[in-house]
Amino acid sequence: MGGSSVCDGTLSLDEFNASAKALVTKWSGIDVDNALPDWEWRPCRKMGVPSETEGFVALEGVYRIGAGSQSEESDDDPVPDDVVEHDTWVQSSRDNVHLYDFHIVYSFSYKVPVLYFQGLQSGGQLLTLDEIKKDLPSHSLQLLNESKWTFITREEHPHLSRPWFTLHPCGTSDWMKLLLHKLGDKDRSLQYLSAWLSVVGQAVGLKIPLKLYCNS
Amino acid sequence: MAPKAEVRPRPLPRPLMVEAITSCVETPFGEALRLLKLDVLGTDDSPIPITGYYTPCTHPKVSGSLRLSPESLVPPSANSFGSRNYCPVPGTLINTNNIRGFQNLDVEYLLREEAKKILHDIMSGKIEEGPSLLLRFLVISFADLKNWKIYYSVAFPSLVFKSEMTLLSLRSASLVLSQEKAKSLSKSLKEWRSSNETTVLPFFWVDMSSDSSIVIRQLKDWKDCQDSGQKLLFGFYDNGYRQDYPGWALRNYIAFLSLRWKMEKVQFLCYRERGSEPDLEKSLIGEASFPPPHGWDDSDYVPAAIGWEGEKPGDGRKEKKLKEINLESMSPERRDEEHQLLHLKLMGWRQFPVDLKKLSSFRCLLLGAGTLGCEVSRLLMTWGVRKLTVVDGGHVSMSDVLKQSLYVDKDCGVPRATAIVPHLKERCPAVDVEAIQMEIPTPGNPVSTSVLDDCERLQTLVASSNVVFLLTDTWESRWFPTLLCANENKMAITAALGYDSYFAMRHGAGPGTVAEGSDMVAAMSKLSAEDVLGRQRLGCYFCNDVIAPVDSVSNRTLDQQCTVTRPGLASIASGHAADLFTRLLNHPDGIHAPGDIAGTNSEGPSGLLPHQIRGSVSQYNLLTLMGYSSSSCIACSNAVVREYRSRGLDFVMQVINEPTYLEDLTGLTELMKSADYSRVEWVDEADDDEEFADM
Repeated sequence: MGGSSVCDGTLSLDEFNASAKALVTKWSGIDVDNALPDWEWRPCRKMGVPSETEGFVALEGVYRIGAGSQSEESDDDPVPDDVVEHDTWVQSSRDNVHLYDFHIVYSFSYKVPVLYFQGLQSGGQLLTLDEIKKDLPSHSLQLLNESKWTFITREEHPHLSRPWFTLHPCGTSDWMKLLLHKLGDKDRSLQYLSAWLSVVGQAVGLKIPLKLYCNS
Repeated sequence: MAPKAEVRPRPLPRPLMVEAITSCVETPFGEALRLLKLDVLGTDDSPIPITGYYTPCTHPKVSGSLRLSPESLVPPSANSFGSRNYCPVPGTLINTNNIRGFQNLDVEYLLREEAKKILHDIMSGKIEEGPSLLLRFLVISFADLKNWKIYYSVAFPSLVFKSEMTLLSLRSASLVLSQEKAKSLSKSLKEWRSSNETTVLPFFWVDMSSDSSIVIRQLKDWKDCQDSGQKLLFGFYDNGYRQDYPGWALRNYIAFLSLRWKMEKVQFLCYRERGSEPDLEKSLIGEASFPPPHGWDDSDYVPAAIGWEGEKPGDGRKEKKLKEINLESMSPERRDEEHQLLHLKLMGWRQFPVDLKKLSSFRCLLLGAGTLGCEVSRLLMTWGVRKLTVVDGGHVSMSDVLKQSLYVDKDCGVPRATAIVPHLKERCPAVDVEAIQMEIPTPGNPVSTSVLDDCERLQTLVASSNVVFLLTDTWESRWFPTLLCANENKMAITAALGYDSYFAMRHGAGPGTVAEGSDMVAAMSKLSAEDVLGRQRLGCYFCNDVIAPVDSVSNRTLDQQCTVTRPGLASIASGHAADLFTRLLNHPDGIHAPGDIAGTNSEGPSGLLPHQIRGSVSQYNLLTLMGYSSSSCIACSNAVVREYRSRGLDFVMQVINEPTYLEDLTGLTELMKSADYSRVEWVDEADDDEEFADM
């Protein structure tokens, strides 16, 4: 299906939509171990009316904890000061909590998916690129530094018209061509996004469950 | 897991304590609020309905928050955004006009007023229809537009009664329920969360009476099922993650259950997730009692409330630290431009809405980059014009540097068309400037070798611009551009200077055609006496003259050549010219707008729109004048336009070489012979037209 275009590493809009829906379904069907929420299909809105053909996939509300403090998994940090006690309520500190939103958007000029993302402090302030980099595991940073295709820029989100960070899509079709070559012919375009995400996710520290690549 | 080192909750039963909810006010929300204030709200500071987005806790160690995103500001009636992790919750935004107003808000009173709304919704039964009303929130803010900051506070009103809520038990749901029941509940919750209808309802009840399956029901279904026994759980999306405290929403939920459904003791379910799955280990089941309070059902009763975010125990309300959104980082690329447009947007608050879209999309062609050209280009940018084409054939000389406000001494010897570009860009980085060095082809003046090319170039430039400003230093050099504008029905603005008098005008519309048959080519040449709207055309710069353009410079003495003019006059005339243009742009009829006369016409929102403004600084006179197009005008009359349309540049070249041809063509020769002509409007200043020129 759509073999010719997928083989050169690109996708048509229809293939993107189909692949996106396949990703959403597959992701929600598997047990995601690191408390990642589900991907959601978001139709674009023109004058408030959802579009039937254009949209993007969103993974929102991904938490990253404690860039400043120690490791992510330790069970015993918050010091007593972190909790404020009142007569009727308590308040936990969220100072070290960052919130990330990821969107996969189709690029008409490159004919490939593009990752857009933003990071927020728990109070809502946007994170700068430097702050985001501090949240990334070391292998992601290495990838960002060494790989030619992974550089982060800040660009207008095509559907939200405000600046988001994005991984530049140049080169995507080249390495996707290599990646897809190894996959079987069967439903190659449907698996496109999962395969793509396995590479792109690494660059932004998104842990993709292995099960996503297992054929059920 | 509860952190080890913290204060342990007191033993049960104990007063109910909940985990506070926090707000996540996204920077893009602040940006959207800034624009809403600037572009829509203006000085209006009345409360507006907004939407917050609530979600159950999804992470083992982080409690969820109420998100305010740009979608939050879309009016609720038109806002269809919402999904499982974005349960829409109604809120109120009070955005004050100044920081003092913000500081003076009676936050205690406002909180109680919001709490009162919740109480009303409980009593009236609105909660059953829209459970998220129990989570109603309040935002107070001040948008500091100049400094790109938003100051705000958020409150989540929670009703307080004289009667106390007591927590009787609280345990992980997986410990309370049998494995079988837990499985069944989990399945039902999953269904509830995957249905578009129910997933946005943060409050529900769970019917556990049946042994086989657990059913989750909406609040509005309560009436039908009151007899189903005692095995009920009242569930809500719990934003908190802590095992020792339920989340904030429980308090209002218990108040609702007690006041509306008359329950003194409730079993509740704090629903929490891990990723997108129900997490019954983290979810809590507990029991709370709440003896019915008194006096609340009085219609004037204003309940007590708590809920200002960030309030610390022991702190007075007034010392509460303000939260702040810094918008500087939001759009650094656009920030400079927005700074430069601020004054225009603010004009819209109380004066008249400036059509910035139109202004920034209009390409303005400036013929002449001298004293007038410098002033007008600067003013146009201040008015929001962002596309300029500047044409000038001269070079900057030392004497220009003082008078022509954009140039500095290092520009001396540089063509004006080259020198002006960086100076415009320095002032307004967003401006798109095209500058072209060329002489305007002028009748009666020495002809350069490139004159035919120049004519063609000017044709193209006029055709591709939206308005043409005639700011050249001689009267006759304005002839060809005036003809081009009349031919293309293009807006044209003229500014000119005398020694102590000045003049600014907008040219009238070009001639319309007589609609006859369908042959466009034939129709083009059958010019009507009116414009395309069938109105009598206003005149152009040349309409009141009775001579053809000739060389007005060569045979004059130096003081006449330079047209010595009082300093300051150029600024005044340029101001009028730019202002006239923006008024014309705002007029619904545009180029066809009739000419207003001061004192006789009533003004529109942007003021009077005169045809001509003539002023003198010696007597401090300012006149608004109106003159119709002359049928023997050498630049815009039907005879000239028709000739240009049929012969094109041949005709233009003939005029340039032999200007008196125009006098024959338009009948001026005849007219002058008959000698009893009179001037149409400007009788008092009869003969000094040809002296209007700038330098």
